[in-house]
This record gives sequence, C-alpha cells and structure tokens, in this order.
Amino acid sequence: MTFSRRAAIGLGVGAAGAAVVGGMAVRQRSLDREPPSPAATDAGGRVLWRNWSGIASSYPAARAAPESEAALAELIRTTPAPVRPVGAGHSFTALVPTSGTLLSLDALHGLADHDAAAHQATVWAGTRLGDLGPALVAVGQEMLSLPDINKQSLGGAIGTGTHGTGTGYQAIHANVKAFRLVTARGDILECSPERNPEVFAAARVGVSAFGVITQVTLQNRALTRVHKRVFLEPLEQVAAEWPALSNAHDKVEFFAFPFSGLAAVVATDRTESPLKPRGPDQDTDTLLSLKRLRDLLGPLPGLRRRITHALMADMPPEESVDDSWKLLSNERPVRFNEMEFHLPRESQMAAMREVMREIERNHNDVFFPLELRSIAPDDAWLSPFYGRESGSLAIHAYYKDDYRRLFGAVEPILRRHGGRPHWGKLHSLKARDLAALYPRWKDAMDVRRTLDPDGRFLNAHLRELFIDG
Amino acid sequence: MRVDDLHRLFTAGALIALLAACGGPPPPSPAQIAARAAALRPGDAHLAELYERSCRACHAEPRANAPLAGDRAAWKARLAKGKPALLQSVLTGFNGMPAGGQCFTCTPHDYEALIGFMADEEAR
Repeated sequence: MTFSRRAAIGLGVGAAGAAVVGGMAVRQRSLDREPPSPAATDAGGRVLWRNWSGIASSYPAARAAPESEAALAELIRTTPAPVRPVGAGHSFTALVPTSGTLLSLDALHGLADHDAAAHQATVWAGTRLGDLGPALVAVGQEMLSLPDINKQSLGGAIGTGTHGTGTGYQAIHANVKAFRLVTARGDILECSPERNPEVFAAARVGVSAFGVITQVTLQNRALTRVHKRVFLEPLEQVAAEWPALSNAHDKVEFFAFPFSGLAAVVATDRTESPLKPRGPDQDTDTLLSLKRLRDLLGPLPGLRRRITHALMADMPPEESVDDSWKLLSNERPVRFNEMEFHLPRESQMAAMREVMREIERNHNDVFFPLELRSIAPDDAWLSPFYGRESGSLAIHAYYKDDYRRLFGAVEPILRRHGGRPHWGKLHSLKARDLAALYPRWKDAMDVRRTLDPDGRFLNAHLRELFIDG
Repeated sequence: MRVDDLHRLFTAGALIALLAACGGPPPPSPAQIAARAAALRPGDAHLAELYERSCRACHAEPRANAPLAGDRAAWKARLAKGKPALLQSVLTGFNGMPAGGQCFTCTPHDYEALIGFMADEEAR
C-alpha cells in the first residue's frame, strides 16, 4: 500500500519548495543526522557489537560460535562471563551487551529431525526464521504463527516471547513441545512437560538467563495457502469493529497512523484461490512519504492531519495469495526503536486511544504507525501472555529520532492498563515491577538460581530484571 | 508549475538520458539484477556460510532496499567512499545497514571479503 505516484511527486516538490522558501533546510539536516556511533573497536582492539537499531552495544572480550552442542557445553563452563547468546541482534532491550563472551548459535542451524505424521520438527536454535520457512516446506510443514519480521533466530524469538497475531493463535514459544538446554555447569537438559517440567515452564521464555536453548521441537501444521488483504479504514471504525474483525479473519492486525485518523487493516485468511504473489514492497515507500510529511509539516499538526488524510485516502487495497509463510512476515528496511506491551484484550482499544491522543498532542515527531495484534494465552511462566487473552500495542520511533521522551510518556499509559512488556522491546520495568505482573515469578526465579547460581548468564540489564531492580 | 508539467519535464529528461546511453550495452533490468542476486554465492566455503546466514537475507532481497549482490552500479557509489569508510559503516551501522550486518561471527577481514563479493569486484 503506497501513496499514488502523483502524491509522492507532490510531496517531493512541496518539501523542496518549503526547504528553499521556508528555511527548512536546517531542520531537515537536523532530522536526517545519523545518531552518534560508538567506535568500531575499543582501546584494547575489541570489535564493537551493536544491536539492529543501534542503541545497545558492547565490546565483548570473547566471541564464540561452537559447531556442536557438546562444544557449546564445554565452552560455557570456562569462557569469560557474562555469557550472552545472540541471535540476529533484533532485541531493543540490552539483553545481549557483555564484556565477557558473545555466544552466537549461527553454527547450530537447520532441521535436526521431523515427524511427518504429527507435523512436528526439531530445529537447531540458531536457525533464522526467514530460513526456517523454506526448510519446513521441504518436509511439508509451516509454523502456526510468524512475527512481522523474520530476521530473528528461533532461539531469540522463543526466549523473548516473540509472537504473530490471530484469535486462537499463540506466540511461537507456546508451540514448543520440547527443548534442550545447556546450563551454566555445562549440563544438557531435555525439557518438556514430562521431563524437567519446571525448567520447561520457567526457561521457555527465559531470555537466555536460565541457560542456552540449543534445540527446539516445534508443533507445526501442513502447508496452507492464504489470501492477504491490506485495506485502509477510518481508525475509529476499525477500533469499534476490532472484536468483530478479529473473529471474522483467521489472522488480523492493524496499523494506526498518527495525524491521519486512518488505519491499515492486514487480514489473512485460508484460501484455495490461484497464486497471486505479492508485488514489490510498498510499505517502505509509504513510511518514507509519512516521514517527508513529518519533516515538512511536523510543527503544524492540523495541516499535517488534513494533508495526510487527503493523500492516503486514495490508496488502493493490496491483495496477494501465496503460501502462508511467504506472506505473514515483511521486510522492514527502515530501522527503528520499539516499545510493545501486551494488554488484557479488553483494554487494548482504550489504551490505543489514549496513546494516540498523547502522540497527537505532544509528539509531532512521530510518523511510524502503532501496531495492534491479538495473541492467545499460554502457560510459560514468564510469557507476557501467561494465563490471559492479550492484545498487543507497539510504538515505533525512527532510529534517528529520540525515542526516550515518547516511550517515557506512553509507558505509564500501557502499565495503567495492565500491560506486560515484550522482553525484547524497550521498557523500564525492574524485578519488583515484574514480580507483580507474573503469578509464577518466584517459582521461575527459584529455577533460575538453581540452574545458574553464580549468575554467569546475567549482564547488567538482566540483573536489574531478575535480581536488583 | 503544475505536477503534470513536472511529469512532462521528467519524461523528456528520461528520454534524453536514454538517447545518450545508446551505443553501449543496455543496463540490466531490476528483474535481471534481482535474479542474479538470488543466484550468486561466494566461491569460498567459509565466506559462503557467512553470506548465507546473514548478508543474503537483505542483499538478495529487493524488498529490503539494500544494494543487491552483484549490482555493480549500486555498489559503485559506495565503493567510491573508499574501503576503510565502507568497512566502518559495516561495523558501526549506517542508514538501513545494521551494525555488523547481523553477522556476529564475522571478522573485519570477513566483512572486507564479503563486500568484495557483493560488489562483484573480481569482475570489475
């Protein structure tokens, strides 16, 4: 979905004209400035590690990518702590930074086994989700749910509670039937509801603070073909119809565009229709057009709203038909920082309205849409979806923009509505806050202390989450 | 000047550029560039492993808006900054490129070799 060519040209002309006539060039230079970067190497010659968005970084003393589970178990006992596993580095929170060992599971990837009759597959945790799609196709399977982005490693996605959307669809970790965990002592534990059930419950969403998950058995399903539609509606209409929309489609989410009064609904349903592969990416063009409007009209929110609405109003719907795994995830080449809270389902729309009001009153630098999804409950002790139907609300800030003021204003709204933060996305909660949100918190912490009594997997951020905060 | 006038101006400009280009081989189409990127793999096994796991997700996917592997025109402007500057951008991240290209086992030497492969330097 994108602005029409004429609208895009108009935007370019308008921006250029304003730059000359209105002295906008200085503002534009400021908005386009690359954020300051840490040095590529530190004084000791250690190479920088930095997350996808660029806000978390460190200079690990050691980097390791063991080529077998046994080698990983041997390494964990002796390598400098904190030992922090890294997947694709897509988390925004400081889960990975370490002065000790950066542990990549990249060499532990691909399918280890599969059960065709049960539609289950055992997968190495270093496998990137984007590579898992075609690997599962080879055995006639697909994952039940996929997140918006598929660059993450399977281990990272499970450990942070990463999710897709859809009534009745759980987050990825809820479809894990068993996993293997290497502990701080180098022991290898097989975990499932039958074997080490407490570790299975506590460490499944465990941000690698309990040990390193090396292998996962996923419950999948046979390949499905889906019809994906993206269409624009008035935001208030979508909010009012959200329960009905959620029940009417197999999977549905929506993006709410600030300063427009509009929302893009993304609905996916099973079909037997002929293939209609999706065309070139249009989301990025739309996003960059919204940025240009922000750059040009940010200080004039009333005018910005009228023009944005007028430009978006003629955006045609998009339709595609293809294998589910090809359509559920998207390319997101424009980097950003993100906060996401998972709310009780009944609070999701009220929270969205409050957040939108806050943005449109006090944060005219925002141009990314809010993203709203639905997630079914599960029983992992540290799952943000533990024991309740959830509606997620995500806020994004362009990676060159200051996210702190926006997220600082929005977080209290989301907490007041009973939200639990996504483990990989920005929030300010500490151990005492989290203990109040998770009914099995104490049990989970007992398991963590037993598995890693010396805290070899804890960096500064994880100490705040699990011990000191 | 109205938007329609601008359209005509752009069209005329494109025509002039097209005529000026006559005489040489036509540049590859976006579809040809994408097809080549999808098929390219480094010859070196170690490099191929790194490329498959990290770089390929964006540098062989047109929707990712990254310069595609083997797209010499797209890489030319980047190479013009000089190899050290390009390596610095890879290590620290720049625009859409995340730091390290999400390859956390790559060494600076690996990155240089991967840039050389994607920029199609051997063919230059």
